[in-house]
Amino acid sequence: MAVTTPFHPAMRLLIVEDDAPLASGLRRMLEAEGYAVDVTARGEEAVLAASQERFDLVILDIGLPQMDGFEVLRRLRAGASAARPMPVLVLTARDAVDDRVRGLDLGADDYMAKPFAMPELTARVRALLRRSQAHGDPRIVHGPLAIDTVARRAFLRGEPLELAAREWAVLEVLLAKVEKIVSKEAIIQAVAGWGDDLSPNAIEVYISRLRSKLEPTGIRIRTVRGFGYMLEEFKEP
Amino acid sequence: MPARSLRAHLLRMLLPPVAALLGLGALIAYYPSIEPATEAYDQSLVDIGIALGSHIRAVDLGFRLELPPAVEQVLRADRFDTVYYRVGAPDGQAIAGDLDLPLPPEPSDGLQYYDAKYKERWVRAVAMPAPCGSATCSVVVAETTVKRAKMAREILLSNVLPETLIALATVLIVWFGVKRGLAPLARLSEEIKQRSPADFHALDAGKAPEETRPLIVALNGLLDQLSAAHRNQQRFLANAAHQLRTPLAGLRAHTELALSLPMPDACRTQVEQVHEATIRTARLANQLLVLARAEPGGHAGVQGRVDLKAMVEGIADEWVHRALQRDVDLGFDLASASVHGDEFLLREALANLLHNAIEYSPRGARVTVRTGMRDGAPCLEVEDEGPGIPAAERERVLDRFYRMPGTPGTGSGLGLAIVREIASGHDARLSIADGAAAQGCRVALTFPHGSRTDE
Repeated sequence: MAVTTPFHPAMRLLIVEDDAPLASGLRRMLEAEGYAVDVTARGEEAVLAASQERFDLVILDIGLPQMDGFEVLRRLRAGASAARPMPVLVLTARDAVDDRVRGLDLGADDYMAKPFAMPELTARVRALLRRSQAHGDPRIVHGPLAIDTVARRAFLRGEPLELAAREWAVLEVLLAKVEKIVSKEAIIQAVAGWGDDLSPNAIEVYISRLRSKLEPTGIRIRTVRGFGYMLEEFKEP
Repeated sequence: MPARSLRAHLLRMLLPPVAALLGLGALIAYYPSIEPATEAYDQSLVDIGIALGSHIRAVDLGFRLELPPAVEQVLRADRFDTVYYRVGAPDGQAIAGDLDLPLPPEPSDGLQYYDAKYKERWVRAVAMPAPCGSATCSVVVAETTVKRAKMAREILLSNVLPETLIALATVLIVWFGVKRGLAPLARLSEEIKQRSPADFHALDAGKAPEETRPLIVALNGLLDQLSAAHRNQQRFLANAAHQLRTPLAGLRAHTELALSLPMPDACRTQVEQVHEATIRTARLANQLLVLARAEPGGHAGVQGRVDLKAMVEGIADEWVHRALQRDVDLGFDLASASVHGDEFLLREALANLLHNAIEYSPRGARVTVRTGMRDGAPCLEVEDEGPGIPAAERERVLDRFYRMPGTPGTGSGLGLAIVREIASGHDARLSIADGAAAQGCRVALTFPHGSRTDE
C-alpha cells in the first residue's frame, strides 16, 4: 500500500449521492482502497460538512433532490481556500454535453457519466488526489522515481538520475498527467520554451532516451499512435 | 372520397343560379323586344287586307275581286316570305286568292290574328271584315314566318350573346379569383413544407388575409402543443436517462465490488454474468436514448461548427484506455475537418464505431481513427483489423437490432443503426469498405462538400 499510493492513508473523501445502493458501493470500494469515506445524500448537508471539516476530495452527484449538484459545487467553490484545494469529481446521469460544460465551468475538476467502471473511478480519484497533493509541493513521486522540480534533481531507486534539460521538460509534462494521453503538440509547446522550435521527430528522440533510462525499473511510457504518449500508472512488477 | 376542389365547389354552387338568372333575363328581355316587331309585321298584313278589301265589287248576284295583276304583284311582293290571301263572300264562300287558306279557328266579326299551317308551312294570318256594298265580305291575309323567325333569332342572339359572355366571365373570375384568393394559403403551405420537423415557431399571420387568420391561429395553437409535447419528450428522455443510469451505476458498483472479494468459483461465474449483463443493459439504455435523440425532430441539440479533429482529440484519452483494457492498439491519423452539426450526436456516432471496432478486434490488433478532407469532403473514419463485414451484409448491418450471424459477444445490434441515423441527420454518407490488406473493415462518414475546413 505504501508503495502503490504515496499518500497519507487517512485521506478523507466525501461522497454526495442520493442513490443509496450506489453510495454504499462507492463507499465500500473506496474504503477498500484505503480512504476514509463520508457519505451524504443531501446537498445542503454536503455544503455544511465541507464548511466544518476538511475533505481531500468530493465525489458529487449532479442529480440531487432539492439543492442540486451544480448549486452544491458553486457553494463549495465559494467557500474554498486557495491554499487547500479540494478537488471535486462530478458524477452525472444526464446526457454528457451540457453537464460537462456547466460542471467544468463551475470548477469541477473531473467528470464521469453514470454508469462508470469502478476501476476507472478509483484511478481518477487517485489522479485528482495526486494533483492536488502536488499543489505547491515541488516533489513528485512516481513509483521508484522521485523528482524535485525546484531543485531540479531526480532520483531513481534512490540513485541520482542524470537528465538533459529537454528530457526534464518532457518528463515533467508526462508526470503532470499520469495515465492521461498527452499529444505531441502539447509536449512540443511545453518544451519549446527551452530552445528553438522542435520537430515531432525530436520529441521521439527524447522519449526514447527517457524510456531507456526509466523502463528497466518498470516505468512505462506508452506510444499512442498518431497522437502522443502516456506515462502509465506505475505497477509493481 | 377525393379531396374537394374549392374551385369546382364554387363553380358548382355559382353556375346553376347564374345560368338560371341569365336564362330568365334573356326571356324577360325577349318578349318586350319581339312584341313591337311582331305588331309591325302584323300591321303590314292588315294593310294588305284593307287594300284587298277595297277591290271587292258587287256584281249580279254575287261579289268579285277586281284586282289588276300589277297591284296583286305589289301586294304579294316580299323579300323573305310568301304572301297568301283569300277573299270570302258574305256567305263565307271563297271567291278569290288562295281559296283553301285556313280560316281562323273561331269565326268572329272583328280583326283576328292567328297562326296556321298552310302548304306544310307555318303561316301568320290575319282575318278581317271588308265592307262590300250593304253586306260584309271577309279577307284573310297570311305570310310565311321566315322573316319573323329571322327576327326572333336576331333578338334572341343579341340578348344571349352578352349574357353568355357574362357567364364566361363569371367562370374565369371564379377560376382565377380562387387561385389568387388562395395564394396566401399556398405561400403558407410552402412555408410549412420548408420547415424542419423540429421548428415549432409560430407562423407569421402578418401578411395573411383576414379570412385565413383563424387557420393560422389554429395552426399556431397546434404548433404550441407540439412544441410542448416535444419539450415533454425531451424532459422524459433526460429523466429516463437519469432514472436508468443511477441504479445501473449502483448495480455495477456492487458487482465490481463483489468480484473484488474472495468467493467460490461457482458463485464468481454467476456474478461475472450479472456484471456483464449490467454493462450491456447500461449500454443498451444509453443507445436507445441516443437513437431517440438522433431521430428527425428528436433532439434539440446544439447545432454548430464541429472540428472533427478536435472532437476526436477530446475523447481520445477515454477510448485509448478502453482499447488498452482489451489489449487493442488505438491509433490516430487526424487532420482538421470542420462540419456543421450536433457535436453530442457526432461524438455518439464515433463512440459506436469505436466500440464495435474495439469489441470485435483480436488482441493486439490495431484500430485507427482518421479525420480530414477526402476529395474536398470532410470525413471521419474508423478502421479495424477485426473479422470485417462481408459485402452482402453491409446493408443489413445498418438495420436496428440486426446482428451478423456468428457474431460473438452480446451486442444489441443498435450501434450501426444509430450511426446511420446520425449520419442521415447530418446529410453524411455512411460507407463500409474492406480494411487495408482486405482484413477488417473501414467504416466512414463522409459529410457534404459545403462543410469546409475552418481557417
